[in-house]
Amino acid sequence: MVVSLRSWLANEGGKHFVLMLWLGANTWLFLKTFLLYFTGQQYHYLYKMLGLGLCISRASASVLNLNCSLVLLPMCRSLLTFVRGTHTVSSRETRRLLDKSKTFHVACGVSICIFSVVHVSAHLVNVVNFSGRYSEDFPALNLARYKGEDPKLIILTTISGLTGVLLVLILFLMFTSSSYCVRLSNYEIFWYTHNLFIVFYIILMVHMVGGALKYQTNIEAHPPGCLRANQSSTEQQGEELEQGEDEERRCGEEAHFLPHYPQTWLWVSGPLCLYCAERFYRYIRSSDPVTIVTVIRHPCDVIELRMLKKNFKARPGQCPTENKETFGIHLRVVGDWTERFTQLLLPEPRMDMEILPMVQQRRYPKLYIDGPFGSPSEEVFNYDVSVCVAGGIGVTPFACVLHALLDGWTGFRLQRLYFVWVCRELQSFYWFAELLCALHHKLWQENRPDYFNLKLYVSQTDNMQSMSEEKYRPLTSRLQVGRPRWKLLFDEIGKTNKHKRVGVFCCGPKGISRTLHKLCNSSRSSGTTFEFNKESFS
Amino acid sequence: MGKIEWAMWANEQALASGLILLTGGIVGVAGQFRGWQFAAYAIVAGVFVCLLEYPRSKRAKGTSVERTGQYCFTVCVKSFGPLTRNYYVRGSLHAAICVPGGFMLSTVLGCVCLGISSIIYFVAAIRGEHWEPILPRKEISREVQDTVKNPPQNPPPRPPPETRRKRVDDLEEAAYDNPIPVSE
Repeated sequence: MVVSLRSWLANEGGKHFVLMLWLGANTWLFLKTFLLYFTGQQYHYLYKMLGLGLCISRASASVLNLNCSLVLLPMCRSLLTFVRGTHTVSSRETRRLLDKSKTFHVACGVSICIFSVVHVSAHLVNVVNFSGRYSEDFPALNLARYKGEDPKLIILTTISGLTGVLLVLILFLMFTSSSYCVRLSNYEIFWYTHNLFIVFYIILMVHMVGGALKYQTNIEAHPPGCLRANQSSTEQQGEELEQGEDEERRCGEEAHFLPHYPQTWLWVSGPLCLYCAERFYRYIRSSDPVTIVTVIRHPCDVIELRMLKKNFKARPGQCPTENKETFGIHLRVVGDWTERFTQLLLPEPRMDMEILPMVQQRRYPKLYIDGPFGSPSEEVFNYDVSVCVAGGIGVTPFACVLHALLDGWTGFRLQRLYFVWVCRELQSFYWFAELLCALHHKLWQENRPDYFNLKLYVSQTDNMQSMSEEKYRPLTSRLQVGRPRWKLLFDEIGKTNKHKRVGVFCCGPKGISRTLHKLCNSSRSSGTTFEFNKESFS
Repeated sequence: MGKIEWAMWANEQALASGLILLTGGIVGVAGQFRGWQFAAYAIVAGVFVCLLEYPRSKRAKGTSVERTGQYCFTVCVKSFGPLTRNYYVRGSLHAAICVPGGFMLSTVLGCVCLGISSIIYFVAAIRGEHWEPILPRKEISREVQDTVKNPPQNPPPRPPPETRRKRVDDLEEAAYDNPIPVSE
């Protein structure tokens, strides 16, 4: 598939622009700080003692400051939902960038790890130099107490060293538990270790308090490199020195040194307060338990939960709402949490039930819900033509879309919706069979049959069953066995919608989303641009 | 906290610690710092830990995600049998390996990280986990379905030869009813 420039720009342009900006900011900050310590007059003596290790460690520290402040911002999900929802950012392109907030957070996190490695290595070299090149001339500059002090002792007895060790350990724990494998299998490990971030930030703000690195305050009176009272100009031995010049090069006074004020709090406190406020707001919002209205068990290990919550407001495309107050979720029972949850909601029928079982008070667990948060699927209504591709349980974000259309399809910009749902087994289609048929019938009644194009695929070709119910005829007549052929499908959609921008929304396994992404970036003879939007679970 | 598999997290940590130990060892040897012999040891220890921890274990429940190209490592690690299966052994091994790293500045970090992962391996071992190799599933060879099933051994039931013989003179009488009804 040939990549077309226009499609690529539409899909990837914004992301790569932000990436370039971020890389540029990091590079500029690194170089600026490096040159400051390399050439700055106030660091002349310190540089002579420590060498390049000083410049590299300070430069990487400033990059770390930037990234530690940026890493929190994409995780303020309520704020991002607000920005996305109120259309404060009116361009759809910019709103699509909000979809990539988690990727940006990961990028900042990875750069924090890399630059921490650089920073720690450079400071280890610094500590060795502090110990080995202990300065008798400028005792205020030293971190070591005497020449040749064991560097490990220096690290453990200064605030900077000790806090640095703790920071690295916390970062190590957070980093190793956030790999894809651990998140997939044991999400709690990831969640609880990642919440150590607050300890990380508190220690980070204290990290510079010890004042290990000092700068010279009196550069005019004592130009660095000037001759001191007990020195003679031994450097230029071959040349003759005028008496006057010798006098000028004498120092006016002794060099004075002061440590830097900790600067990290300037960078970090804003985003940290914002994020803490956001978490507090989410906690308050979710402190009201929901009332569970119905629990329905569907085939293929899915349960549907309908709930009621006070003051619950969801925009179209965020949550399936029947009337304005009840909303529902579908969840697939895969791991231990969902299994335990299902056991609490639907107790197993006891074997010793009498013929007339006593009506037992159903004791549901107390359930707290956080949200709703914005998602890429909200944009379905802002295109003229949209394609929704769902794989298995990935259909749940689109259930909201279907509910919203069922409520009133005339109010949106959307003129046509292609709905492709691929499942492994036929029974899975029962999860939303009623909803799909209801929408289909409604649109036929209101004389817009071309609005909703449904295509269902069953990928497992053996053990064929069939949906025998008469009321599900619209589904059985649109059902095909075997995997969909995406290129042909896109060609067909392209031909019917020439020179338009079509929004493609995908929620499903990686294989499908990769194929669709490549197809959206490839060139089209029909002149249609496909904009790819992905919704992911973890 | 549900059924958490601690070994998976310990594995990620041990692999990262092995890399940190290796890096610290390389820096120590390259800079020829004091105590560089410990750094040389750290290089060897780091490589060994990385090789041991590269193959992921199979999960007790759910799908296991392999690391790229881990099959040959799986075979090597599997061949040590109970030494590598048991997590008590692994935890003690890591605890023992990490100790010499604490004597040199550049390898201290690797030592501490490996120590943490050995603690988590002990937690995993107490909870009864063990290492299972991820082996490729043998393809269940579907036997080629015989297109021709066993041909019938017996001839179909027929009336005695006298009735069967074609009696050209009397065709009406020659017709007979099949004893077994022939369905459409």
